[in-house]
Amino acid sequence: MRLAEGTANAGPVLSVRGLKVAFAVADRHVPVVRGVDFDVYQNEVLCIVGESGSGKSVTSLAVTGLLPETARVEGSITLGGVEVNGAGRDALRRMRGEDVGFVFQDPGTTLNPVLKVGRQITEGQVALSRLRPAEAEGRAVELLRDVDIADPEQRVRQYPHQFSGGMRQRAVIAMAIAGQPKLIIADEPTTALDVTVQAQVLSVLARRQAEMRAAVVLITHDLGVVAQVADRVAVMYGGRIVETGPVEAIFRSPRHPYTRALLRSIPRMDTDEVRLDPIPGQPPMPHALPAGCAFEPRCALGSGRPRCREEEPPLSTVASEQNAACHFVDEAPPAPKVHAMARPKMAEAEAPPLLDVKGLKVHFPIKSSVLQRTTGWVRAVDGVDISVRAGETLSLVGESGCGKTTIGRTVMGLVQATAGDIRFDGQSMVRLGPADKRKARRRMQYIFQDPYSSLNPVLPAEDIVAEPLRIHGLYDEMGGAERVAELFDMVGLSRSMLSRYPSEFSGGQRQRIGIARALILAPRLVILDEPVAALDVSIQAQILNLLQDLQAELGLSYLFIAHNLSVVRHISDRVAVMYLGRIVEQGTRDELYSNPVHPYTQSLLSAAPDPDPAARHSSRRIVLEGEIPSPAAPPSGCVFHPRCFRADARCCAEVPAFRPYPGLATWTACHHAGPLEQNPAALAEVSR
Amino acid sequence: MNRAWNSTLWLLSGLMARPASAAALLFLAAMVIVSLFADLLPIDPFAQRLTDALKGPSAANWFGTDELGRDIFARVIYGARTSLSTAAAAVVIAASVGIPVGLVAGFFGDWRDTVLMRFIDVLLALPAILFAMALIAVLGRSQMAAFIAVGITGIPNFARITRARVLSLRKSDFVTAVEAFGGSSGYNMFRTILPNAWSPILVQVVVLCSVAILLEAALAFLGVGVAPPTPSWGEMLRTGKSYLYEAPYYAVLPGVILTLTILSFDVIGRALASLLEDRHDAGGVQIERTAS
Amino acid sequence: MIGFVLRRLVQLVPVLLIASLGIWAILYAVPGGPVAGLVGENATPEQIAAVTAQYGLDRPVVVQYLDWLRRAAVGDLGVSIYASEPVVDLIGQRLPATLHLAVAATLVALALGIPVGVISAISPGSWIDRALSAWSALALGVPTFWLGILLILWFAVDLRWLPAVSGYVPIWEEPLTAIRNLLLPAITLGVYVSGILARFLRASLVSELRADYVRTARAKGLPERQVVGIHIMRNALLPFITIVGLMMASFIGGAVVTEAVFTYPGLGRLLIQAISTRDYPLIQGCIVVILILYVAINLAVDVLYAYVDPRIDYG
Repeated sequence: MRLAEGTANAGPVLSVRGLKVAFAVADRHVPVVRGVDFDVYQNEVLCIVGESGSGKSVTSLAVTGLLPETARVEGSITLGGVEVNGAGRDALRRMRGEDVGFVFQDPGTTLNPVLKVGRQITEGQVALSRLRPAEAEGRAVELLRDVDIADPEQRVRQYPHQFSGGMRQRAVIAMAIAGQPKLIIADEPTTALDVTVQAQVLSVLARRQAEMRAAVVLITHDLGVVAQVADRVAVMYGGRIVETGPVEAIFRSPRHPYTRALLRSIPRMDTDEVRLDPIPGQPPMPHALPAGCAFEPRCALGSGRPRCREEEPPLSTVASEQNAACHFVDEAPPAPKVHAMARPKMAEAEAPPLLDVKGLKVHFPIKSSVLQRTTGWVRAVDGVDISVRAGETLSLVGESGCGKTTIGRTVMGLVQATAGDIRFDGQSMVRLGPADKRKARRRMQYIFQDPYSSLNPVLPAEDIVAEPLRIHGLYDEMGGAERVAELFDMVGLSRSMLSRYPSEFSGGQRQRIGIARALILAPRLVILDEPVAALDVSIQAQILNLLQDLQAELGLSYLFIAHNLSVVRHISDRVAVMYLGRIVEQGTRDELYSNPVHPYTQSLLSAAPDPDPAARHSSRRIVLEGEIPSPAAPPSGCVFHPRCFRADARCCAEVPAFRPYPGLATWTACHHAGPLEQNPAALAEVSR
Repeated sequence: MNRAWNSTLWLLSGLMARPASAAALLFLAAMVIVSLFADLLPIDPFAQRLTDALKGPSAANWFGTDELGRDIFARVIYGARTSLSTAAAAVVIAASVGIPVGLVAGFFGDWRDTVLMRFIDVLLALPAILFAMALIAVLGRSQMAAFIAVGITGIPNFARITRARVLSLRKSDFVTAVEAFGGSSGYNMFRTILPNAWSPILVQVVVLCSVAILLEAALAFLGVGVAPPTPSWGEMLRTGKSYLYEAPYYAVLPGVILTLTILSFDVIGRALASLLEDRHDAGGVQIERTAS
Repeated sequence: MIGFVLRRLVQLVPVLLIASLGIWAILYAVPGGPVAGLVGENATPEQIAAVTAQYGLDRPVVVQYLDWLRRAAVGDLGVSIYASEPVVDLIGQRLPATLHLAVAATLVALALGIPVGVISAISPGSWIDRALSAWSALALGVPTFWLGILLILWFAVDLRWLPAVSGYVPIWEEPLTAIRNLLLPAITLGVYVSGILARFLRASLVSELRADYVRTARAKGLPERQVVGIHIMRNALLPFITIVGLMMASFIGGAVVTEAVFTYPGLGRLLIQAISTRDYPLIQGCIVVILILYVAINLAVDVLYAYVDPRIDYG
């Protein structure tokens, strides 16, 4: 793509050679980036992918000298032919303002909360005398319009807290392109955003980049995003690039064992794999790297081989424009294991459900800060029916603020229901006294999203796992220490780790402790709140497999709460899609993914980036307008109508009923429900 | 128990590793020992010899003598008793009221929070010294009155610091987890939250020691502290100030000891805060690995 | 904005009510109570009864409190027993002196505290940071009354430059004399507070330096001067306003010790006298006035804060 447009003789915009970064920690230097080479050309998007600790973000910061002073940077970085490493303060500053635009990860913190957005967008250009102060506001308005922000004249005078998350990130993009830079560096630009907003932001970024013919370095862990936007890909592992090449080649014929393993470990929307193929072990810590190839301990090909253990492989050409750093790059990978595991049989539909939620409403009062008066209500959950049968997995999927977590917490009894009934095993939970509630809770357990904050840091792992037993006074009755040790075996933790504290475990291991704790009382229902969202891709697959094994072995029912559509597709029997406190569509997994009938489900599925570069040319994409409204002031009628491509006058006035969709085993709440193909006119309008 | 012991060792070794906090720790240890065993020393803070009044420092009287010919050095040593015992009593009073108040207010966050914190606000609105004076005016001058007055003025700090910590822990998943498993509020407050809240509380204990010593001295300086002839540093400064022209050492030397004591607590408090903060940065409890 | 101020004012009412009730309860619930202070130790029961009746102390405590409250609401705080003058007048004479000292000490504290805090925050861990942090520790650790004594020893006893006893001279009448009188007490009080301010400012600057928006500001090519001077300072100064306000408020009544060292005729010393003579109406009056001033300054700070911080919605 890049050479085809007549820029063949132009040199790279950014050229990095032998980049090494080490951080001074205590009295030694910890290498975080260990010899990285890459080039980016005009109008080209280079994606750097890697898991946490791979050195990808540090690489991007080193390129513009933004690392803290404790970092030691070696190697050569040339931007437009000028050396950056070792450049003077003023030269660096000029370069950042004129040649490079930056987009950072968290739009919530990258803007200064006490300065007006318009000022922040242009002040860099004003400081470098590239823009006269009198023209700054006009330019800021123009830039905000360029990134699709409505009413920019008003918006430039507002403060960041008056912007929504997606708008803030677009303002950051406006700031990045303010100087018409040659290079844009985007560090996980959409990780903190919802999937429909991510689609908007990526599309804005792509349009502006194409207009300016800027080079882009995009850092991400999301292979879906890579497949959608990259021209070339660099895969980082343990502080080095282990494979690089054109995006099609990386996804079609990956040559490095890590790239292959990574692609196989992610759940996908386009296949019905029964089981994921995780990468064993943990990514290496920068201060404890193996002597040879950093991937050797986890590698299917090289694990245990003396050469891999002793000698670090150089990055060498393996195909046209494709390089990989592996000693045995020509060796065929061992065939992936065939998993002949049957899914647990679905429980009979006639059997009464284990969990039955009817007409659930959860409203939180909004208190004024001054006199503690209730000034309004947040309708977090506003009339929801769900049921989970014995042995099945029901997933609640939706974007942030849709109320899915609140449902989980209400079922668990952590939040008081405003209206409706929750029946567990035939018994209503809503009006139980405290003692009965405690007893009922024994059969229902919860697994949290964040493995770092869900374990009490001052207790050893064995006490954390045993805590539910102690609280219920069942420690001796249920087997005490031996029971705890059994659970450790069950979740794949070594018994030698029993007395360690949470800080000594990795994220994946902590999540295993959380699972062990949830299972120790032998529950029948487990509520899982985004259990893999905080984990690296390769670890995510391990945990998902573990959850499936445990379900089969113990006959558990799962209420699985998630935002990641591929993960949900992988693990669920049935799926309920939520929007703004309501369920908009519910059906069996296969039905819902292959024949979605609600416009929101359709746009959600279309917005989720597919880890397949071919998909970006073939599939039409629905980019929803706007963002999720506040649940404190939901729109009238159908809550989705302001963003919906099928909405008409009826949708504004009349709340659609939740009812079965004729001909499918799906329930939906939409006046105009129907498969996407039936609406070609509407679709053409929304796809750009 | 083993854990608490390890933590103590780890903190002590951390304090001893820094020159400033090591010096402060040794100075305070010396003060505590000397004031505990002052009776065994060949000094007498009460013996008056009017002929020797207001004599400068000498081999017999290291810090000189006061207006009644009493040995100032002996009075400084016995004054340490007054100061340190006030500090200890104040910490006990302030912590035993302030910590539960902060815990309950922060944990429940409902009307209990509003009511308790309103009272704390009122306590804070009056400068500590005025509050203590008013209280002593009512209770009469005595050691116990000083303890209570200084102790009560320390309550708001404990309550607020505990509450702030509880609020930040309250929403953590590991606290919610205990709730989800059916643990009671009491279990959660005392078994889950409190063990995670002790580091800011510990820092506050040290801070309050220095504040209490300063306040006790200030009360005595204003003439409402412990009743004479019990030696008190503040009382010595008060009397010494009347003899600035004849005997400047009288007001200066006890002040040096008072300042060193307050500075030592301050240095230790800050060293503790930074030690505990570093530990949190390193990801939770590192104590076990470092100490074992 | 006006609505915000009004709501804040309304909120103050319960604080003041609880506080005045608390003071009342403490002073009157104690055995002996005000009567003992009024009649002296050797009073006969008849004298006690007479005085009790004269001051209306035989009425139920609640009635007494409500009566006091009713009169206090219209500015009548009673008559001092010792000086036989209206409490309001006595306080009115001392208030200007107290305000003079409070303003002077605040100026000293800001002039010393801000540079120390900013300079040590710019290069955390350097020798200059360590030296300035040690200075702040010293400023905080040296008791004000001892520092006052040392200053008197040096500037009044040794050098004879400044008076050892500071009287009150209004600055608009004799500016030079006023400054000579205020200098030592203001330094004594200001140095201590500058330690608090420097420490606080350093801590908030250092934590702001690590914020993400600082990296953003650098990434767009802003000179370091603007990054620190505008981006960081605006954020760090917001909480600083609160601290300065709290300090000023504490000077109103909390300068008792400094006033005692320099025998300065402020509100604090009036209160000490009142306490030592058990002059109950005066004690109550002083404390109530100090509380009102404290609360008023806090309100001013809150309003200023809401005005300066765009994130606070005072609608």
